[in-house]
Amino acid sequence: MMSKLGVFDISVRYGKIPAVTDLSLQINEGERVFVSGPNGAGKSSLLGAISGAVATSHGRIEMDGDLLTGRQPEAIARLGLSMVPEGREIFGALTVEENLRVGTGMRRDVQAVEADVGEILDAFPILAERRHAAAGALSGGQQQMLAIGRALMTNPKLMMVDEPSLGLAPKIVDQVYETLCALQEERSLTLLIVEQSSLRAARVGGRMILMRGGRIVGEGNAADMADREALAQAYFGAPRSNSDMEAAE
Amino acid sequence: MTNLAQLFFDAASLGGLYAMAALGIALIFGVMNLVNFAHGEYIAFCVFALIVPSTDAVAVMFLGKAPALILIPLVLGIGALIAVLSEYAVFRHLRRADPVAMMVASFALGFVIRNILLAVYGGRPKAISLWPELNTPVELAGASVPLLQLIVIATTLIVVAALALLLRKTRLGLEMRAAAENFTMARLLGVRANVVITGAFALSGALAAAVALIMVTQSGVADVRVGGQIMLVAFIATVIGGMGSLPGAVAAGFLIGAVSVLLQAALPLDARPFRDAFLYTLVIVCLLLRPQGLFVPASAKPRI
Repeated sequence: MMSKLGVFDISVRYGKIPAVTDLSLQINEGERVFVSGPNGAGKSSLLGAISGAVATSHGRIEMDGDLLTGRQPEAIARLGLSMVPEGREIFGALTVEENLRVGTGMRRDVQAVEADVGEILDAFPILAERRHAAAGALSGGQQQMLAIGRALMTNPKLMMVDEPSLGLAPKIVDQVYETLCALQEERSLTLLIVEQSSLRAARVGGRMILMRGGRIVGEGNAADMADREALAQAYFGAPRSNSDMEAAE
Repeated sequence: MTNLAQLFFDAASLGGLYAMAALGIALIFGVMNLVNFAHGEYIAFCVFALIVPSTDAVAVMFLGKAPALILIPLVLGIGALIAVLSEYAVFRHLRRADPVAMMVASFALGFVIRNILLAVYGGRPKAISLWPELNTPVELAGASVPLLQLIVIATTLIVVAALALLLRKTRLGLEMRAAAENFTMARLLGVRANVVITGAFALSGALAAAVALIMVTQSGVADVRVGGQIMLVAFIATVIGGMGSLPGAVAAGFLIGAVSVLLQAALPLDARPFRDAFLYTLVIVCLLLRPQGLFVPASAKPRI
């Protein structure tokens, strides 16, 4: 398998506070990788560093052999990396369709863009219905779908999704993951997903990376990792996060 | 009793001028949270670009000699150019700085431009005659209206409509609206910060140039201080309209224009010299009642 993303020994710090420390990570073409861990483990900072939104103090990041470190976020997006951020960050004053089109400025294949708009609206009927309505009026689940659709419109090779289940009902989370998995297969995407609930990651399936204190503390098949974590929690009484409870229902 | 139609045309043309100046400020604030106090100096710069550089009391037309069809695009271009250049030279390096630092830098830039104008053209206001035929009155709806007033009103409507169209229908417009709402997210989707910000500055500078052309035709004077006065009103209009809201800036510009004209007509003669005191009292009342502005943008606007 070909390496899609290579993270080599990166550190991220906010002032003096380290968020990510000497972290290395390889993601292969077409792989689905979950990043899990407690709040403050550095998951979002890792995604921020890869996307260029957060500066690294040390180390380098490569995608398809291109160096991402030091590039502007828009330049990284133009290399084929797309982001579904935590909290979705929908453009509320723009219409649903306009949200989809924001990320198409880099694309020269005009006809394919039109086809993609149609395809995404077909895939999410609720978005098609609200096509010309302000996106801010959508529900949380609908906004999550829109954020995914919007990220796909850049025609990415690697898509990063930060906490897609945040604030959504378990049933909606199921839908979000079904959609993500279907899209991944269809478009041979590489996915990097931050998911606090290891049980949820185990259910969806893929490789899982466990972060704590800015470092990777465990790595393996998501299903095995979730078992191991459950075992550890049973022995050491580690508090379970809310999303674990939700997913366990 | 003053003629009502006359009042209406006065209010609409003054309001239109304020609205265009306010739009220039709101556009830049929308995309980068910068209150650009150098905007007034862009206006002054465009005024002085019309005449031959000299400290003589009499202005000799330079660009101002060109026919309108060439002159107008040329001056709009000069406005856009100085705005873009100032972004490139100053604001680009402060994008990660505090909004207050950027604002102070804009003050400083304004002083630099003003003092360059002072050094080159001298401090005395100069008589300057651009399109004097436009000040001939026209009879309309029982009022005697200078042709220029009608042109100002029409220009404002055209500018606002064109800007709305640009923001709604073009790629740059979409990117500017997205960036105004959430710059980081727009960049994560490949929207180039430099393109959006340069575009905003170019539009803002062109608006400043339009204001300059109108003011100089109306007043017949080239004065270095011209920018400071209108900048103050325009800034107040953007605040009353809701910082960053373009429709708000336009509406508040018209509102301030209308209220000043009405006060001018309605106040007792003895109170008229103090018209601005009444006007700014109303501004304070307005802000006390709606500190967020009359037209609040759809969402908060984080910067890059």
